[in-house]
Amino acid sequence: MGSALLNRISTGVVNEKIKSALSESTLAVYSAQFRFTSGGVTDAALKKIAQEVVNAKKAIRATDSGREVILIRSAKNLDPEVAIDTVSNRVSYESIPSELRDRLLNSGDPVWARSIIEYADGHKVPGIVVGDKLSIPRVGPYDIYFLFSFESQVNTLNLVKNYLFLAGFILLLLIVGITYLVIRQVIEPVRDAAKIAEEFTAGKLEKRISVVGSDEISRLGISFNAMATAIEQQIKRLENLSKVQQRFVSDVSHELRTPLTTIRMASDLIYAYRDKFEPNISRSAELLQSQIDRFELLLADLLEVSRFDATEAAMEISEIDLNEMVARCITDLSLISAEKNVVVNLEKDLVNPIVSVDARRIERILRNLLTNAIDHANEKPVDVTIKSNSSALSVSIRDYGIGIDPAQVPRVFDRFWRADPARARSRGGTGLGLSIAQEDAHLHDGTLKAWGKLNEGAQFILTLPRKIGWKIEAEPIELLTTK
Amino acid sequence: MTSVLVVDDDQDLAEMLGIVLNGAGIEVDLVSRGDEVMDVFRNNPPDLVLLDLMLPGLDGIEVCRQIRAFSVRVPIVMLTAKGDTHDVVLGLEAGADDYMVKPFKPSELVARIRTRLRRTSSELSGILLLADIAIDILEHTITRDGKEIPLTRLEFDLLVALAKEPGRVFTREALLSEVWGYRHSTDTRLVNVHIQRLRAKVEHDSENPTIITTVRGIGYKAGVSGTRGH
Repeated sequence: MGSALLNRISTGVVNEKIKSALSESTLAVYSAQFRFTSGGVTDAALKKIAQEVVNAKKAIRATDSGREVILIRSAKNLDPEVAIDTVSNRVSYESIPSELRDRLLNSGDPVWARSIIEYADGHKVPGIVVGDKLSIPRVGPYDIYFLFSFESQVNTLNLVKNYLFLAGFILLLLIVGITYLVIRQVIEPVRDAAKIAEEFTAGKLEKRISVVGSDEISRLGISFNAMATAIEQQIKRLENLSKVQQRFVSDVSHELRTPLTTIRMASDLIYAYRDKFEPNISRSAELLQSQIDRFELLLADLLEVSRFDATEAAMEISEIDLNEMVARCITDLSLISAEKNVVVNLEKDLVNPIVSVDARRIERILRNLLTNAIDHANEKPVDVTIKSNSSALSVSIRDYGIGIDPAQVPRVFDRFWRADPARARSRGGTGLGLSIAQEDAHLHDGTLKAWGKLNEGAQFILTLPRKIGWKIEAEPIELLTTK
Repeated sequence: MTSVLVVDDDQDLAEMLGIVLNGAGIEVDLVSRGDEVMDVFRNNPPDLVLLDLMLPGLDGIEVCRQIRAFSVRVPIVMLTAKGDTHDVVLGLEAGADDYMVKPFKPSELVARIRTRLRRTSSELSGILLLADIAIDILEHTITRDGKEIPLTRLEFDLLVALAKEPGRVFTREALLSEVWGYRHSTDTRLVNVHIQRLRAKVEHDSENPTIITTVRGIGYKAGVSGTRGH
């Protein structure tokens, strides 16, 4: 845009200059012709007039500088009586384009052309050259050329150009600044909104967008806030509902404990004297006792589950030797395994068996898995393998007994899941054991995985990171796969 | 005859506890409100207190503190329906020696009471030296520079268990079995809290213990070798 403007200005200026140059030269030619006609015919007089004509630039229009004059013999004038070729000493003949001289030769009117004016001192300036004819007594036809330099125009134009550039630059700065402000006005609220939305997603439900003004952005903000409030309320309602429910399960479990303690003690007392009762009552005492045991286990597991649900499970972290813990669990269960004719093999391959865990929970997982394996081993051996790598430790418990239907494997960690609902459980588990075991593993950022095949046994692998929060890079023991 | 103060607001449970403990040859006093405990305690100091944590009048933790302020020696066993809550740790820190989670077997309760009441094994006698602490087994006192440091019976038992084999590393399980009489337990809180309490009393700087030191990944040991006296 700036250069187009500059073009227009320069064209205007040049055209104006051309116009004034043409009228000035017409006037000058007229004046020169008059002087030659009336000035005298001596050699000296002619030369003097020629000198005056050439150097009269200031006399005609004082304000217009940069006019040079060249007086040169016409190409038709082959043999003049007197040669009065004159040139204002500052310009060279080369400034006149030869094309212009040819045109003047064949023209009755003044001709003009744009040219580069060469000065004696060597510097060149764009300008125009206007040519006309003079008829000089005794001398014959002569050409007179007026050279008008554009120097002042070029200077003016340069000045204009510089101002235009400056203005352009300032304009550019202004545009950049305004754009930045506009973008800030538009982008910033959007970016803020995106950030708030991310935080909201991350769980900070109380986050709201600050709404300023009444444009589309602020309407978006208002809508977002309304949505956020609705979601927050809904989630709070659900949270409360679920809290009330968990609280209820927890309270029920706790409230049951005191009467259960009384029942437990009363039953123990009766059970201790069962020999003194008649058979039916004696058997009843036994049943009472065993069912109270079962009830107690169920209640304990239920309470544990309610703690997981309420994410209230407290962790008691200490460093333990996993080898030692597994070995102790196997020893503790040796009575049961002996009773079931099950041999438990332990294979330890551990560089560093120390791991940071809640010992009670890990021991509970191990006991649960071992008891299950022994229960379902069908008098075949149970293989326990411990392996570790830099990031994690794994315990695999593999039995070769009745196994699990592969289709049922994904469900083994479900609460109250039973492999075969009709089959009596020999050790009377609560149906919550594996579910609790998996929750315990997850509390340690570990995994508990299962594999099974009917009549080929089952494998459970507990993998724990060395420290809670560590990432398990690779599992030290891979789960079996069903071919 | 051994006497136990049972503090529980559940009348039926308290009565049942009475029956069971009487059957084991233990005399029982019953209190059902927390704010009545100290009156009974002062008038008829028991050999042991069975204390429910949830009580009307004054809660069990506070009762525990009051009893400890009055008597350093009497063993306190908490009865609680919540085995894993903060309350248990608070109770232990307030001075309880042990706790039982409801429901418990009567035989277990009686065994636990007997463990708490038994005197430290009689095969040891005389003075054990551990660093600058002198442990008088018979007198059940420990002294430093001739000044007695008051310890609960359990803290004393814990210290003796560690001190009689200086340098031996005890796992928490071993200590639970040795001091608390637990056969299978990994309740590390019990050990940890009491070690902390004991350190607070015997260490010069309990942040940097030198008398009872932690062995990473295993347990505790009496840090500085002592000499068995007499």
